[in-house]
Amino acid sequence: MKLIETKHLIAWAAFLLVLALMPMFVSNGTLRIFIFANFLAVFAISWDVLSGRTGYISFGHPFLIGIGVYATAIMSKRFGVPVEYSIPLAVLVTMLGSVLVFLPALRVKGSYFALVTLAFMELAYQLVQVIRPDLTGGTRGIFGIKTITRGAENGYYMSMCLMFGIAFVSWLVMRTQLGTALSALGMQEESVEGSGKSTTKLKLAAFLMSAFIAGLGGAFYAHYVGAIAPRTLFDINFLFTIIVAVLIGGSGTIIGPIIGAFFLTFLLEFLRPYLPGAGRYFIYGGIALLLYMYQPKGIYSIVDKLIKRWRGGAV
Amino acid sequence: MKPVLQVKNLVKRFGALTATNDISFDLHEGESLALIGPNGAGKTTIFSQIMGELRQSEGSIHLYDEEISHLKPAARIKRQVSRTYQVPRPFAELTVLENIRIGHMPNSIWSMLTQQPDLDYERELANKVGLAEADHQRTPAELSMGDLRKLEMARTMATDPKVMLLDEVFAGLTTAEVAQISDLILQMRADGMTFLVVSHDLPALKPLVDTAIAINQGQEIARGSFNQVLADPAVLSSYLGEV
Ligand SMILES: Nc1ncnc2c1ncn2[C@@H]1O[C@H](COP(=O)(O)OP(=O)(O)OP(=O)(O)O)[C@@H](O)[C@H]1O
Ligand SMILES: [Mg+2]
Repeated sequence: MKLIETKHLIAWAAFLLVLALMPMFVSNGTLRIFIFANFLAVFAISWDVLSGRTGYISFGHPFLIGIGVYATAIMSKRFGVPVEYSIPLAVLVTMLGSVLVFLPALRVKGSYFALVTLAFMELAYQLVQVIRPDLTGGTRGIFGIKTITRGAENGYYMSMCLMFGIAFVSWLVMRTQLGTALSALGMQEESVEGSGKSTTKLKLAAFLMSAFIAGLGGAFYAHYVGAIAPRTLFDINFLFTIIVAVLIGGSGTIIGPIIGAFFLTFLLEFLRPYLPGAGRYFIYGGIALLLYMYQPKGIYSIVDKLIKRWRGGAV
Repeated sequence: MKPVLQVKNLVKRFGALTATNDISFDLHEGESLALIGPNGAGKTTIFSQIMGELRQSEGSIHLYDEEISHLKPAARIKRQVSRTYQVPRPFAELTVLENIRIGHMPNSIWSMLTQQPDLDYERELANKVGLAEADHQRTPAELSMGDLRKLEMARTMATDPKVMLLDEVFAGLTTAEVAQISDLILQMRADGMTFLVVSHDLPALKPLVDTAIAINQGQEIARGSFNQVLADPAVLSSYLGEV
């Protein structure tokens, strides 16, 4: 088995081409929606690398992303650290923070694990308000964070490169034996142990990879929007948007979370004039549920089947 | 000669139940020992303690003269003892070859990332246990019970053991498949593998083992050559309640 086959390279190149040419075909307004879609895709990949593979369902991803966001925002705004340093440092801090979330995974599984991680998110929300509000900005958050892009097109290319780079590297990693082992962990943890593999090491690797992506996405996001508020970050709606994106698109794949993130972002945007506020979330909840009942493996597998049928018909 | 595996005064209690009650035995290199006894006698529980999936209440377990009781399963497997499971638990969405890969791949994250899977080895092993070429890319759901047992054998062999613990490898197999797996075990014995075998299929067991220990309710009731043990009155009566 070769790590990269020609047909995969062609698919990735085509994907990159479409993404790169996008600004030629769509308005700046649409481009701004794509920027959010790119960031959501990064967060969805991060979630899937951990939960979609190992089966340890994280409700704590806003916590991880939040660490990345706050770390770079505080370093850059309060201490004047240049972004070239604050972003990598923020990623490092996020990975350290993920070890906190990892510890319960050594003891609890399934819904208990999910609930424990949810507690991390809520705890973070409470803590940023009481611990050093002079640094975190308390409930109001942090404004005037240094932005690193100017204009829609610039922001689009930054977010697109980030998303594409993360997607491609994650795809490569998941094609190695490590990827196979992480998936196996999600299917039968005991048999992984019984095959002589340390499940603790594998879980830690998944947490660190997921946190790396979450921290990177969060840090860049902070320097794109320039302002953060704890209530929108440590928020159950944000959490569910990430998870639903993965489930709609197809978990256990790389392209699935991307498809899901794009679909969901544009759906929410399309619904905005009709359903302002939180009502929109009911709609996507409904769509996610329908899709989940009809095709639990998401849009990706529907597309995959169609392509195979079309190919089968053509031959 | 030093024994490869040495179990001394092993006791395992589950609350009021004593599932393993003072079991001791030595296993020498290339030897093949059967562990027999009726349902619930405590055979699988002994395997789980040797592998470190269960921690014994009392007693010691030595592998190549090293006390391994404090080691996790992965560390014991690295020291080349490995088991099959009575109820195979394959990785449902992985192919046959990928299932074998999990057993064979290194246990270091870095090596998992950088080493290519050894496809030739995986195919060879699958063929060796009698999984047809056509099955190599199938998932466990598409396999028969017999093929699942073969896959379980292959996954265990892929961890590169010198001592193999086989738990009911013949259950659910056709006569032809029993013969196939028996041949494989005999061939591995000829190559120097050490076995501890549990099976209810006594006729199939007979040609494979040197000695046997019969246990009932966690306690040893007989030991000796396979024929001797089978003829033992205590063994006969313990099996009477069966079938
Ligand atoms: N984890 C556990 N907790 C409590 N009791 C257990 C546990 N595992 C096994 N037992 C009990 O220990 C006893 C021995 O079980 P074990 O599975 O070792 O028997 P066995 O000889 O392998 O039987 P079989 O031939 O049916 O496979 C049984 O009474 C069983 O109910
Ligand atoms: Mg048993």
